[in-house]
Parts: sequence; structure tokens; C-alpha cells
Amino acid sequence: MAVDMNMPVLVVDDYKTMCRIMRNLLKQLGFSNVDEAADGAEALQKMQSGKDFGLVISDWNMEPMTGYELLKQVRSDEKLKGTPFIMITAESKTENVIAAKRAGVNNYIVKPFNAATLKAKMSSVLGSF
Amino acid sequence: MPAFDVANRIRDALDDIKAADLDDPRLMEVLSLAENLVETMKIFFGSIDHSVIDEFQHIAQYINRTREEIAALRPNDIHGSRIPTAGAELEAVVGDTERATENIMTLAEDIMAADASDPVAYKEKVDNAMMQMIEACSFQDITGQRVSKVVATLSHIEERVSRFAEVMGVLDAESEETDKEKWQNENLLNGPQLDGPATGQEAIDALFDGETSEAALGQDDIDNLFD
Repeated sequence: MAVDMNMPVLVVDDYKTMCRIMRNLLKQLGFSNVDEAADGAEALQKMQSGKDFGLVISDWNMEPMTGYELLKQVRSDEKLKGTPFIMITAESKTENVIAAKRAGVNNYIVKPFNAATLKAKMSSVLGSF
Repeated sequence: MPAFDVANRIRDALDDIKAADLDDPRLMEVLSLAENLVETMKIFFGSIDHSVIDEFQHIAQYINRTREEIAALRPNDIHGSRIPTAGAELEAVVGDTERATENIMTLAEDIMAADASDPVAYKEKVDNAMMQMIEACSFQDITGQRVSKVVATLSHIEERVSRFAEVMGVLDAESEETDKEKWQNENLLNGPQLDGPATGQEAIDALFDGETSEAALGQDDIDNLFD
């Protein structure tokens, strides 16, 4: 099944610069419908407001709600639990990766990363595009 | 006046009274008892005085030494000048890098959005943007110098605090986490590691691709999940 390039993608990061980088990378990959949230709580609010996001790309380290907590909330929400979720972090201790995997994350990217890595991980989650 | 001297003066007074050749045997008996008492007190207070004086002298020396060591720390200089300066330098580093990133990204976005139908105009636009990007990269030199100053301040403080702790024989006390620190330690990661990612992208990919099982990552890693 072809990937819908117009699907809304939610980027969750408390650094505006990182959101801007992600927006540019996604645009370069063909995804222009990008929304942003500054932490897990704002992201969850946006997701529960009815917009049907086709992918969530989230940082881990955010306050007050972390990306890991957002992941757990999404996976426990009947309506949202099927949303593809990619975690991006600067730290990648094995126990954190395993914890995220057990919580239901679809893929995990370590910062710094490039467009090719992002495309590969998105493809593994969404299918080739 | 130390008790030791008082005892000596009382004994001298008793000797004077006895030398006056008084006839009352009861008075002589009282004087004899008083003399025994004074001798006893002299021994008692003498020993107490010396140990107390020695102790107070030791405490006074320790206080003087502590004051000298605290003065050597230059706490007012650290608190009033070095720490605020280091903080301002780090804030400037954040500001410099943010501005440079903003400039470079804006230039890159302009190039990506530029009309390439006129190759000459397009090349001129790209060349100008590239030159501005190169100029923006000069932030690295400035931030490098700022960070060096902060590192020097931290070394200065570390050296003095270590010396103070060593000289005063200070042991680390138990510290209590604030609620915020506790939440952060439990929920946030520590940020980038100095020697690169603890687990590389390839190892993570292998885990998600099913090429590596969690068990292959080591028992310690699994144990950490349940600690």
C-alpha cells in the first residue's frame, strides 16, 4: 500500500530549531503536512483533538511530559494506539531503547542523524516511499 | 583567673593565717580541713584547666585555620564574579549557536525555495548564500573561546574546593534530591554521552529488525529495566 504523502506528521520536540530541522527534512522527503508540539502533553492534546496523524516523531527529553510517557499514553488510548511512533534521542542507553520497544515504539533514531536515516526508519514503519 | 591560680592564692592565704599563731583549736581544725580541700581542688582544677585550655586552644587554632582556608577559597570572588561570568559566557554560547543555526537554516531554506529558471541569477544567489553560511560558521571560534573560559573557571573552583576538603578533612554528606530532581532522574535521559551513543544506531536497528534479541544485549541491560 502506497504511503500517503499528505498525511499529517506530528513532530514533538521542545527545541524549536530541532522542529525546524525536522520540518525541512520531512519536506525534503515529500511530507509537507507537518505539525509541531513542544512536549508530550501538547502532542497528546493535539492527537486527541481529532486530527488523524499518520506518524509521530518524538524526542524523549521533554518537560512536563516526556516522549516516553507520550508513547505509553498513546499506546493505552483506544483511538490512538495504532499511530506509528518513532522516538529520537541524543542518548541511547540500551535499557532505554528496550523500554521504548516494550512500550510499543515502532523505531528509534539516535541523534545526530541525517535524512537518509530518517527515510529508512520511516520506510520501515510506513512502508517504502 | 584560672582555677589553678585561685587555688594557689587560697593556699597562700591559709599559710598566712596559720603563721599568725592562732590558739583556737577549732579554727586550726577548720583551717586544716580547708587546706586539704584546697589541695584537692588544686589537683582537680589543675587537671581540668589544662585539658580545657588545650581543647580551646586546639579549637581556636582550627577556627583560624578554617578561616584562612576559606579566605584562600576566595568565596566572594567565586560567588560574585567567576560564577556569574561563567553563566553569562554559557548563555552567550547558547545565543551564538542559536543565531548561527538560524542564519544558516534560513539561507538554506532560501536556496531550496529559489527559482532556478535563470541559471546566472540562481548561481549568484547560491554563491551569496554560501558565503554568508561560511561567515556564520565563525561562531565556532567565538564559542570555543567562551567555553575555554568556563572550563578555566570550573578548574579554578575545583582546585580550591578539593584543596579545602583535603585540608579540612571534609567527607561528603548524604544529599537529598528535590522533587524536581527526583522526577528528572526518573523520567529524563542524561543527554548525549561524551564518547558517542551508548548503543549505536546499528545495534538499535538490529534490535528492531529482530536480528538481535533483548537477551543478547546482556543481563545487566535487562536488570536495569527492573531496578
